[in-house]
Amino acid sequence: MSTAVKQALVLAVGGLLIAGVILRLARRRLLTTRYALGWLGVGLLITVAAALLPFVGRLGRLANMTPTAVLLTMSSVILLAISVQLSISVSLLQERLRTTAEAQALLARRVEELEQRVG
Amino acid sequence: MLVLVPAFNERDCIGAVVADVLGAGYECLVVDDGSVDDTAALAEAAGATLVRLPINLGVGGALRAGFRYATRHGYDCVVQVDADGQHLVEHIADLLRALTTEHLDMAVGSRFANGGHHPMSWVRRRCIGALSWAIARGGATRLTDPTSGFRAIREPLLGAFAHDFPHHYLGDTFEAVLVATRRGYRVGEIPVTMRPRQGGRPSADLQASFSAMVRACTVWLTGTTFDLPHRPD
Repeated sequence: MSTAVKQALVLAVGGLLIAGVILRLARRRLLTTRYALGWLGVGLLITVAAALLPFVGRLGRLANMTPTAVLLTMSSVILLAISVQLSISVSLLQERLRTTAEAQALLARRVEELEQRVG
Repeated sequence: MLVLVPAFNERDCIGAVVADVLGAGYECLVVDDGSVDDTAALAEAAGATLVRLPINLGVGGALRAGFRYATRHGYDCVVQVDADGQHLVEHIADLLRALTTEHLDMAVGSRFANGGHHPMSWVRRRCIGALSWAIARGGATRLTDPTSGFRAIREPLLGAFAHDFPHHYLGDTFEAVLVATRRGYRVGEIPVTMRPRQGGRPSADLQASFSAMVRACTVWLTGTTFDLPHRPD
């Protein structure tokens, strides 16, 4: 078996493994669909990339990179995109948490005022 | 008019501050910003109305909760006073007077107006100077002390702040003033003297000064992190 085929096989298995783990996590409700879909995409992308390895090699020659370097670059970009997306989500959650905390505090105050008026 | 005191772990001073405010005949709302000491209990014992945030949100978070309380209870003016005893209750009347005589939406108590002096490190003084310059560039007003937390705010700015107010470091002072002036609200200042804080720990040390500069720079680069509607005429 040539090195390229071996590489492609390892990549394909890795991609399917990721997809499998994600599906399992989603089924155990540890991941919401929103995020599960993104990661599933990553797993499938890797598997597809394995099938397209010869093409990746050609792409690499264009940019004067080895196929491995091309794959590493691609995965870094994808991971970066996911991190940025998570940061955006966290920022949004922070704002929502803040609004909820404020509303809770004001409601608690209101309840106290009403209790005083009744009691 | 409501005096709004945001407080985070200020057990040493909060009782005296509340007593001062009530003694001067004002209503006093303390927003406890998730303190882990007995700040909330002491504020309530001293006679303040208390709103207690379940988690620490930072000064801006406590302020927005206070602004929302004020607008929902029909107040049209709020005076913000620090919980560390730096601000003198006597100046509250001066701030309120400035609102009416100078037709302002926000009056800021400045330590440096009219050549006033306040002991502070050289680095901090320069940082405040830079922030002041940034505001003068963006708006029409020259504010000598844009990080001051001693100010009177009234409608329509109060309602706008109740709707949206930044909660990160310096967002509540520098950025809020910057956006308000940019959106046509009238902001002015009056000279006040401040005491050294009466206890507890300062929230602004050298590291905070540094992050202040970083914030000021990012405001130039990316714009402000919040916005206000234009001042209605």
